[in-house]
Amino acid sequence: MTPLIIVDDLTKEFLHAVKKPGLTGSVRHLLRPEYEKKTAVDRISFSIDPGESVAYVGPNGAGKSTTIKMLTGILVPTGGKILVNGVIPYKQRIENAKNIGAVFGQRTQLWWDLPVRESLSLLKAIYEIPEREYKRNLELFTDILNLGEFLHLPARKISLGQRMRADLAASLLHNPKVLYLDEPTIGLDVSVKARIRQFIKQVNQESGTTILLTTHDMEDIEDICKRLLIIDQGRVIFDGELQAVKDAFAQERTIHFEVRAPLHLAEDALHNQFPGAALHIQNEGSHCSIQFNRFHLAAGEIIEFMMKRSDVVDIHIDEPSIELVIRQIYESNLNNQRIIV
Amino acid sequence: MNAFRKYIVLGKVSLQNAMAYRSTFLISLLAGFVLVMSQFYIWKAIYSKHNEIGGYSWDEMKAYLLIMFITNSLLSWYSEMAISQKILDGSVAMDLLKPLDFQKARLAETMGASIFESILGAALASIIIIIFEGIASPPDLLTWLLFLVSLLASALIKFGIIYIAGLFCFWTSNPYGVAWVRAAITNLLSGAIVPLTLFPRWLESVTAYLPFRGVVFVPASIFLNRINGQAAVQEIAIQLLWALFLWLAGRMIWSRAVRQITIYGG
Amino acid sequence: MIAKWVKMLLLYVRFMKANLIALLEYRLDMMIMIFSSALIHLLGLVFLWVIYQRVPDINGWGLWEVLVVYAMVYVTEGISSFLFEGSWMMNTLVNKGLLDNFLIRPVSPILQILSSRIGVNGIGNILIGTAILIQAVSHISMHWTIPKIIMAVVLLVSAIIIRSSIKLASNSSVFWTQNPGSSFPFMIHSIGEFAKYPVSIYNTVIQGIVTVVVPFAFVSFYPAAYLFDKEVFRYWGLLTPVVAIYCAIGAVTIFNYGLKRYESAGN
Repeated sequence: MTPLIIVDDLTKEFLHAVKKPGLTGSVRHLLRPEYEKKTAVDRISFSIDPGESVAYVGPNGAGKSTTIKMLTGILVPTGGKILVNGVIPYKQRIENAKNIGAVFGQRTQLWWDLPVRESLSLLKAIYEIPEREYKRNLELFTDILNLGEFLHLPARKISLGQRMRADLAASLLHNPKVLYLDEPTIGLDVSVKARIRQFIKQVNQESGTTILLTTHDMEDIEDICKRLLIIDQGRVIFDGELQAVKDAFAQERTIHFEVRAPLHLAEDALHNQFPGAALHIQNEGSHCSIQFNRFHLAAGEIIEFMMKRSDVVDIHIDEPSIELVIRQIYESNLNNQRIIV
Repeated sequence: MNAFRKYIVLGKVSLQNAMAYRSTFLISLLAGFVLVMSQFYIWKAIYSKHNEIGGYSWDEMKAYLLIMFITNSLLSWYSEMAISQKILDGSVAMDLLKPLDFQKARLAETMGASIFESILGAALASIIIIIFEGIASPPDLLTWLLFLVSLLASALIKFGIIYIAGLFCFWTSNPYGVAWVRAAITNLLSGAIVPLTLFPRWLESVTAYLPFRGVVFVPASIFLNRINGQAAVQEIAIQLLWALFLWLAGRMIWSRAVRQITIYGG
Repeated sequence: MIAKWVKMLLLYVRFMKANLIALLEYRLDMMIMIFSSALIHLLGLVFLWVIYQRVPDINGWGLWEVLVVYAMVYVTEGISSFLFEGSWMMNTLVNKGLLDNFLIRPVSPILQILSSRIGVNGIGNILIGTAILIQAVSHISMHWTIPKIIMAVVLLVSAIIIRSSIKLASNSSVFWTQNPGSSFPFMIHSIGEFAKYPVSIYNTVIQGIVTVVVPFAFVSFYPAAYLFDKEVFRYWGLLTPVVAIYCAIGAVTIFNYGLKRYESAGN
């Protein structure tokens, strides 16, 4: 399969004027301008196949938005190559625009003073969407995203959650091949987040739309994405399956037990049977948790061990948290080398 | 004295602000500069065939244009917009909470900014003087003094007009429209287009009963020694009376407008 | 090719309609804008009227002829701001990163910028300018032939193109200045003030500026000189359409060159 997105050695540098404060500084800058170079994206390479759902994560200022803006054709790269569906975005911007949809969480592409319905209809004209396709999509999105309640209101009068839903619909009306999402759930309440994630997943699975998502919300990633691209200081430091990275990094697992009678368990007894496991007893013995490496020990055996020794009321197992995983990856990235799982 | 000091502080802050936004001032001054230059050349073309127009010699007309430029530079667009903006962005409600008089505070700010305007204006005025090559100037020190007092009174009148116009933003949300109407009326009736004596008799006599002539025409006439001695003192007194009248009118409109705030909700 | 232009025109009309719908929400403001901008432009008329009470001509130009020059400035400015006021939005669009929205759509960003706002204040200029123009033309004894009428239309369209191109080009400076308070386009705009009167009254420096550097003189003076057969300037009038094409290409080139520097700031 030919990749849909090919990024090769992509680099973006920004020049910023270095101006001394005050009037003299301004005059001096006019005569002999000084610039400071900042590399936002540093020789990045990756490729994405059609239908993939990729999370693009990294700390603030890592170069995520800059990459997306180059992929969408907004920014012109300083060096390297980009190809999206066979098109160079910054050179053939209009050609590229037909293939893509984009949602930037911080701002809307709806017209502020127009009813949402009017905005969508303007987009229909802009993207030259055939009447039938437009109608079908609008009906579908109205249904899933529940747009009906605010289609008649101008964008400035709807809530953030409603705006986000409308923006998602707006970016997908023309059935783009790729959907870029930059912080699509930022500032939304839990139920709206869930609905939006569900919708994006559906679009990815049913229409085969390729998704590239940047977010700080780890639940977004876990719900929507199969693949993880991590970037730090302008460089890709990890690229792989989400599950693989979880397996590789989330080796620690914790089982929590709630017991009826206070537990009297010596750590030695546990260690004898399960070397390396750590025991924490809380609430005067009514609650205990056991932390262990799941590659060395089996959860079932630990549970069995506990059942024998006490009257267990409740059990739950902590899932490996993706947030923890990614933090570990950042931390192990001290010498800025690519991590291989 | 302490009550006075806080307004000095406001004026200082406004001056610093003005310096930070110097490019905004430069444009409005440059626009005035282009206007005065285009008028200069059109008068020059006229005076190449006439020795005097309406009693003004060429040197006097050049001086008139210069004074026109100077009075127009004072209390420019920036101060005008600052007052409207206060009302439109709702920060007026915050001001009501402070132990400040709204009108005095705006006067302090406007005067603070106009210090910077005067400096820039003086720089451009000297360029104008060089380009104009020879303009009429006051014959003696007393005339200079009277002119400066009259110029100060002109600024006070202009503040009165700007302030009242700014208050209209309580009733409309369009500061530009208000400012344009204000500018159109002031320029027409103050002598900022042509000396008022060139107007048809009926229009000239209308301006005699309005505050606007104190903005440009009176200081310019004193500068040209066309109004002098006791007449000049009298004109300045009338200017100051108008400034006072506009100040009181501003207070009245303000107290009506404040009631409006409760409707807007700030 | 033609289909593409028709599509762009239709889109443009739709964008402007959207602006109008949005604007109708602020009806009182709209009326104030139209009225006030018309009022402020009447002042220039008063100036000319007062002067011509005292002198029969300025540099060989009679009142009605100068009024044509003056009215050309206002009609073209009115039409240009009514249709292409969006250029003035560039500062906001670029400095707040709002241009992003335009760049991810399959439509020329210039088209989207130009149609991002409607300049209702232009209506006042158009009304007054047209009224003066009609009055002036009826007072000037001229021999109107069909070629001359056609030329007059060509000159008017060229003048609008020149003005709008200057506006787009000067506002494109925002790509370089990286300064939200940049006043460069306003400075250029105010130079247009010189074009209200016959350019022959100015010294060579100003004449050079408004002819070559910022060709505002081709908006009003040169076309009028051509129509009234004035001195040597009438030949310059014939250049107007060429200058229009030159300005339009220049403005688009400057814009596209600047666009490469766009940094999409303001997150």
